[in-house]
Amino acid sequence: MATEEISETKTNSLLGTLREKFAFRAMWEKLTWTWKPETKREAGDAIVRNFILHWFPAKVSLESLSWGYSFWLGTISAVLFLILTITGGILMFLYVPSVERAYLSVKDLEFSTSYGWFLRGLHRISAHLMVAVVFLHMVRVFLTGAFKNGRKAVGQNRPLNWIIGVALLLITLLLSFTGYLLPWDQLAYWAITVGTNIASSAPVFGDPTRFILLGGTTIEQATLIRFYVLHCFLLPLATFGLVSYHMWRVRKDGGLACTEKRYEEAKKEEQPAIASKTYSLLGITGGSAVDVQNVMIDDEKDKVPSSPYLTVRLAVVTLATLLVSILLTLLVRAPLEEAANPAVTPNPAKAPWYFLWLQELVTITTFTVGGITINGALIGGIILPGVLVAAAVLWPYFDKSPVSSIGRWFPKERKWQNRIFLFIVAAILILTFIGTYMRGPFWEIYMPWQEWEQTPRKF
Amino acid sequence: MFSKDAIKLYVLGLSLLGLTVFIFFRENTTDWRDYQAEFRDLVTEKFGPERAEQIPSGVQQIWVKDLDRVDRCVTCHQAVEWKGLETAPNPYRTHPKEILEKHPLTAYGCTSCHGGQGFSTTLPDAHGNVEHWEEPVLGQEVSEAYLIKNPKALMEMNCNACHRYDRETKGMDYINTAKNLVEQKDCRACHTINGRGGIIGPDLTFEGEKPTEQFDYGRLTGRHAVFAWQVAHFQNPKMVSPDSIMPNFGLSSQDAQALALLVMSWRKEPIPASYISGVQLRDVPTPEEVAREKEMLEGDGAFFVQNKCFVCHSVSSLGVNSAAKIGPDLSDAVVDVQNRFGRTLDDFLMDPTGTMSVVLATQIPLTTEQRQQAIALLKVAYQRKLEQQIKNASPSPTPAGK
Repeated sequence: MATEEISETKTNSLLGTLREKFAFRAMWEKLTWTWKPETKREAGDAIVRNFILHWFPAKVSLESLSWGYSFWLGTISAVLFLILTITGGILMFLYVPSVERAYLSVKDLEFSTSYGWFLRGLHRISAHLMVAVVFLHMVRVFLTGAFKNGRKAVGQNRPLNWIIGVALLLITLLLSFTGYLLPWDQLAYWAITVGTNIASSAPVFGDPTRFILLGGTTIEQATLIRFYVLHCFLLPLATFGLVSYHMWRVRKDGGLACTEKRYEEAKKEEQPAIASKTYSLLGITGGSAVDVQNVMIDDEKDKVPSSPYLTVRLAVVTLATLLVSILLTLLVRAPLEEAANPAVTPNPAKAPWYFLWLQELVTITTFTVGGITINGALIGGIILPGVLVAAAVLWPYFDKSPVSSIGRWFPKERKWQNRIFLFIVAAILILTFIGTYMRGPFWEIYMPWQEWEQTPRKF
Repeated sequence: MFSKDAIKLYVLGLSLLGLTVFIFFRENTTDWRDYQAEFRDLVTEKFGPERAEQIPSGVQQIWVKDLDRVDRCVTCHQAVEWKGLETAPNPYRTHPKEILEKHPLTAYGCTSCHGGQGFSTTLPDAHGNVEHWEEPVLGQEVSEAYLIKNPKALMEMNCNACHRYDRETKGMDYINTAKNLVEQKDCRACHTINGRGGIIGPDLTFEGEKPTEQFDYGRLTGRHAVFAWQVAHFQNPKMVSPDSIMPNFGLSSQDAQALALLVMSWRKEPIPASYISGVQLRDVPTPEEVAREKEMLEGDGAFFVQNKCFVCHSVSSLGVNSAAKIGPDLSDAVVDVQNRFGRTLDDFLMDPTGTMSVVLATQIPLTTEQRQQAIALLKVAYQRKLEQQIKNASPSPTPAGK
């Protein structure tokens, strides 16, 4: 009927007017164009014009995206760091860094703060995971020779990035160490006692180092507050800075080392840049990117747009890391022992697990020959790890393996390098295992199934 | 290669959603909510729904700032101060009243007497029989483990933290027995306790502070606990410490338990002075001050002391001494008033001018009888003053011949 028709048209135009007025469709498109780029230009823009995503290149090689090459360990450690920053930031509202209140504030977190148990547990688990993942990342980088420069490096400096990585590893260990003290319980207090006592046995710098770390000669309020500041501000700041530099260098070096083989196939000499392409890396550095100078690289064949391939995988890795961390948080309760008591040493007093290999080394290198006692703290605690770190830092400059071995797992040309490296890693892991599960009261060896003596109680 | 990514994303997303729900439930289905719900049902049944609606829900706590304790026991033990639930099962039982009258909850909390982990809100942790907590609730569980006849006896250890300097305290039978034994058996012959005693044995003043690790449990059967060690040691010192020269006093197991409780109560924890029994937070007057005050209150000038005249005026001939001496000595008020105001004392006091008019109008209101009593006494005072003057003025009799 005529009236019906009129009313229908009226409704249509009403909705239509509304839609136009509030530009719903335009708004939706504006929010989601990055996920579903319709053109290659859009795909590139989605990355390059985005504040967070512009860290990544507009296109990435297929090998870089593979699961089995890098296992995305670097990404996982970055995600863990993000989890730690967020949970840590929230915890800062509740934790009190004073020797009178620290322990009670942690107890309050466990018992009377909403989700406090979860925040604290997640923070602790992520911290342990991060130490492990960062270590595995280092192992992966070494075994794939990704610390080496490619053929006639064009502005490449992978050894520098490796050194930045070693620095990041040490900072991660320090972050974990400073955080370990904050609950101010027996576990925390004595672990830091062990750690700082080992540090003090360094020649010349040992005692001043311990004095600066502790803010005095005993572990007291001064120690707690400076560990807190280091843990919450200075070390995360250093980490953010170095991680940014670390990732920037990856891009400057032409991407992950697995892409090196493509450059191998390119001509041996440097290629001049094509006149029409002048990319500079974010306007900060001069010259062109490595992959621009290698005109033999076929972008179309070997690369895919980062949006959505890289971004989706990033999302998968982020969620998977979060899932594993949360599961472990729900399964493993964060420990909290008695309030710190300088008069009572727990038996045994253990360093945090990532330093247990050091404590084992100290034990092994402390022995008496004739009338002389060898100072194990110096040998096992300072010299040996010092030598290891120095070796790690300097190895890229001594490494003589060919360029063809870069970016591949267990290449024949680096057989002996990798075997020795794995031997050292295995030794560290075994020592850590012994320190964790096989050392009991008085630092005696106890088989994992043997029971320790009863801990005495008041009642 | 990439099609599986989307599937992984959905699977991970759903798993995380599931975990979020799980965490939400873990946080919101706590034991104490169940106990509070049960309590509400109990109250509805016994006292009706209106009373039940008044019950607070959520975590409850008593914050005792002076003792730096937060006790959340009242989250589950909500009936602590209720009337009528004396026979209800725990945790819904009313607390015995007499002790609460002397030790109100707001000033003492719960854990300072009962022990336990006050700030906890989950069950095994709250009662403190868990690893890494050394102050368990001193009640049923621990008493049964040690076969102590009276389950409330263990708590006396905590009572003694404040009642340490009492010789005897009502309601602390075990500790009272133990304190008597200390005197009877003369522990101070060998041990120093509270600054007095011998030096043959160790100083026991803070024996309760000694860490658990510093005892030698090697010759102890059963659990390695300080309490067990102390009881065993009291019953047979040489069995526990072979090098000891402490004699065996032949103590019964109950006496040994009492002494162990006493000794473990000797701790160093900082307790505000106002909590410690027997401590007088006031300066005590010396005997001379007491005598002086008595003299003033019972002497001839008692009227002027009782009515506070002495605050400003001395009446020296009647033995009333003012410290402030704001006004003149009233011993010669009879003439002094005349000189100052040109009126008789009787006239002046009935209708004073100046300062006295303000004082007698606002601060020391005296009835007519009282004023007349004052006038009469002041006349007596003047008489006495004149007599004293004459006595002082007359020369002492000289010996004959000089």
